Amino acid sequence: MRIAAFLPELLRHLFKKPATVDYPFKKLEVPPDFRGTPYLNPEMCIVCKACERDCPAEAIEITDVNPAEKRFRMVIHNDRCIHCAQCVDSCPTTPKAMQMDSLFEIATDDRHKLKRDWVYVRAVIKPKAAAPAAAPVAEPKA
Amino acid sequence: MSFEIPIGPQHPALKEPISLRMTVEGEVITGVDIRLGYNHRGVEKVAEEKNWTQNIYLTERICGICSHSHATCFVQGVEKLMELAPPKRGLYIRYLVSELERIHSHLLWLGVAGHEAGFDSFFMYTWRDREIVMDLLEMISGNRVHYAINTIGGVRRDLDEGQRAKILEGVATLRKRSEYYFRIGANEPSFVARIAGVGMLSKEQAIALCATGPVAKASGVGRDVRKEDPYAVYDELDFAVCTADTCDVLGRVVVRVMELLESYKMIEQMVRNLPAGDIACKAPRKAKPGETVSRYEAPRGENIHYIKSNGSDKPERLKVRAPTLGNYPATVEMLRGCFIADIPLIFAAIDPCICCAERAVTLVDARNGAEAIVRMSELRRRALERAPKAPLKGNAVWPL
Amino acid sequence: MAALRTVLYLFVYPGILFLFVYSTFCEWFDRKVYARLQNRMGPTHTGRFGLLQPIADFFKLMSKEDVVPEAADKGFFNALPAFGLAVVSTAALLLPVWNFDLAAPGWTSFQGDIIVMLYLLSLPTLILFLAAWSSTNLFSTIGGARVLTMLFGYEVPLFLAVLSPAVLAGSWRLAEIAAFYQAKPLLLLVNILGFLVAVVAVQAKLERCPFDIPDAETEIVGGTFTEYSGKKLALFRLAFDIEMVVASGLLAAVFLGGFPGGPLLGFVWFVLKTLFIIFLLSLIRALTSRIRIDQVISLSWKVLAPLAIVQLLASILLKGFMS
Repeated sequence: MRIAAFLPELLRHLFKKPATVDYPFKKLEVPPDFRGTPYLNPEMCIVCKACERDCPAEAIEITDVNPAEKRFRMVIHNDRCIHCAQCVDSCPTTPKAMQMDSLFEIATDDRHKLKRDWVYVRAVIKPKAAAPAAAPVAEPKA
Repeated sequence: MSFEIPIGPQHPALKEPISLRMTVEGEVITGVDIRLGYNHRGVEKVAEEKNWTQNIYLTERICGICSHSHATCFVQGVEKLMELAPPKRGLYIRYLVSELERIHSHLLWLGVAGHEAGFDSFFMYTWRDREIVMDLLEMISGNRVHYAINTIGGVRRDLDEGQRAKILEGVATLRKRSEYYFRIGANEPSFVARIAGVGMLSKEQAIALCATGPVAKASGVGRDVRKEDPYAVYDELDFAVCTADTCDVLGRVVVRVMELLESYKMIEQMVRNLPAGDIACKAPRKAKPGETVSRYEAPRGENIHYIKSNGSDKPERLKVRAPTLGNYPATVEMLRGCFIADIPLIFAAIDPCICCAERAVTLVDARNGAEAIVRMSELRRRALERAPKAPLKGNAVWPL
Repeated sequence: MAALRTVLYLFVYPGILFLFVYSTFCEWFDRKVYARLQNRMGPTHTGRFGLLQPIADFFKLMSKEDVVPEAADKGFFNALPAFGLAVVSTAALLLPVWNFDLAAPGWTSFQGDIIVMLYLLSLPTLILFLAAWSSTNLFSTIGGARVLTMLFGYEVPLFLAVLSPAVLAGSWRLAEIAAFYQAKPLLLLVNILGFLVAVVAVQAKLERCPFDIPDAETEIVGGTFTEYSGKKLALFRLAFDIEMVVASGLLAAVFLGGFPGGPLLGFVWFVLKTLFIIFLLSLIRALTSRIRIDQVISLSWKVLAPLAIVQLLASILLKGFMS
């Protein structure tokens, strides 16, 4: 048992740079596959609703599917999202329609501001439909 | 004069709400009354309404520190029910994350033990080194806690060469730092004076009270699910079960640091021998009817999940027995006869994960096997009916 | 004119305003050194380098709601923070920095002022106990009992250690002790043992880790300060900051040779020497973990008190040889 076993290490630290980062004045880097918030690539979506079924937090809502006018509405409730990326894994298309970005500084004071709303016109709705007829026109309403 | 001190439900020593009512005389504790239930979230009920995939994320959120252990224990059980054989590479990655989680949990615990003892410098240093593990986990899985790397049938993400090199580098740094902490923890006189000889739990008591994990290992009971019931990759890895025989908090510190060193060995073996192949196999949406029990060695002890399926895509019943729940009776025994000043250390030495341990109570009538899930108000009413007729328990003194 | 001078003396320098500014500066220094030893940054953003952080904390506490428990003894509870502040500020007036001329020292330097200063430094402990007692909270009571138990431990070694240089110098007056050692600096080396004992005992008096038992956050919530909030807590914390300055000033005057060189140079020496002692106190704080109350008593009586007695004997023998 030595008295002050820790002392050399402590004194060495006086001359080292601090290990803490001066956030938020210096930003942090996140690795490439970081699970941030989900977003939709509407051109790829086939409205199979697998993401809605598999979301543990009921954060994806697909309504107003209109096969005649080829429109559907998806609301992603980012205030309910638990950032698990199961929606990305359940999405059957290649390249994927649901993707995750790296945003993690999404805190705000009103949770309704976190909900993102899409109303899209698209080409293919059913997975076994014909080849794309018209060019897809997307009207994002965020 | 004997009076009661309430530790909790809100107390700076506790990270989660739990109520320990200590009966003390002067500075010596003569009895403890543990009350649970402040963190009950109804997880088992919600699990019956979500399908198998959604339940992975639900079980993961039973706890933040041992999140992967609950998710893996659940997925192991479901894979048994669905009779799936996940590919080797997927299993290696899954248990690699398990060992990384064990490292982060033990480093966290070392820091917390230092903080409870007042040794804040130790706390800061161990948590700074824990950042290395957190960054590795973020690189592998995309998040620092709640890794969500499991899926039914394997894992969701693969490891590439750059990530493997970084893991080996991180583990080498951590190994040097852990050996340094081992020397400090055993040598700093004020720290050792706080933790040696407190919280004694003899070997017979540990076995009789069903202690599990490092609490039992520090009393010489070397039970480890990875050695007794080797699941998946553990029969191919070379590691030892660490025990100590001092039966006190110092023994628990020593056991956890030795487990850290064993985990580094295991991680290096797993990364070097990672087999090629797929990372997951396709899982059906529905599981065959049946029931299964799945055991897993979480950082805190043995984690048991019981899953019952009725052929649909949602479980019929999920029961979780977290390791901390098994350690509570041993805690009552350990706290008897100690000073007040030792309460935070002894309680922290079982590595309490209180939210893991909040579950519902099922009463089974021993005569005819009938089961009833009982609400707290009903239990309280029954206890109040019985109390005037029951004999006074040991040292429970209520001054009011 | 004399009245104006006295008023400035009591309220500006070296009175309350100077003590407020200097003690918050010392608290900043302590927090910064403690953080750097732990590889962290410490206060950074309030004012340049975080210098205004302790002042900001003080004003924040002053603006919070002041809650008095129903069962508390209101007279004592309300008056004690002010008493504490008054006691330590009076002790600060006795430091030999402000007595520029040995021949005409004014009314704050007299024979026996080292004893008065030690007495005034013991009063905050009693005030802490009364604060705990009048709070009538379970945790405060335990904290108060611990404060008094610790007093039995560290008080005797502290007194013995601080009085040995006085014995060697042959005077009970701080200014004369300081002058003696300024004339013969080599004799300071005789007091090294007493210096170490005194630093450990002062750490116990100031109730900092490893001796922050009465205020052990993880065991008894707030200890003696559990029920204090708002202005009263702000005054208590200021009183303890000033006590840190006074105790380190006392140690610097007795063990490190005082503050020579007249008003301006003496003030510079005062700042340098007290910061050195506060650096040592921060180092001890970062180095160890909290020990138990029974271990404090056994440490004090088995280690500190014998070493202090050895130091006293050495001083007496040396004085015998010298005369």
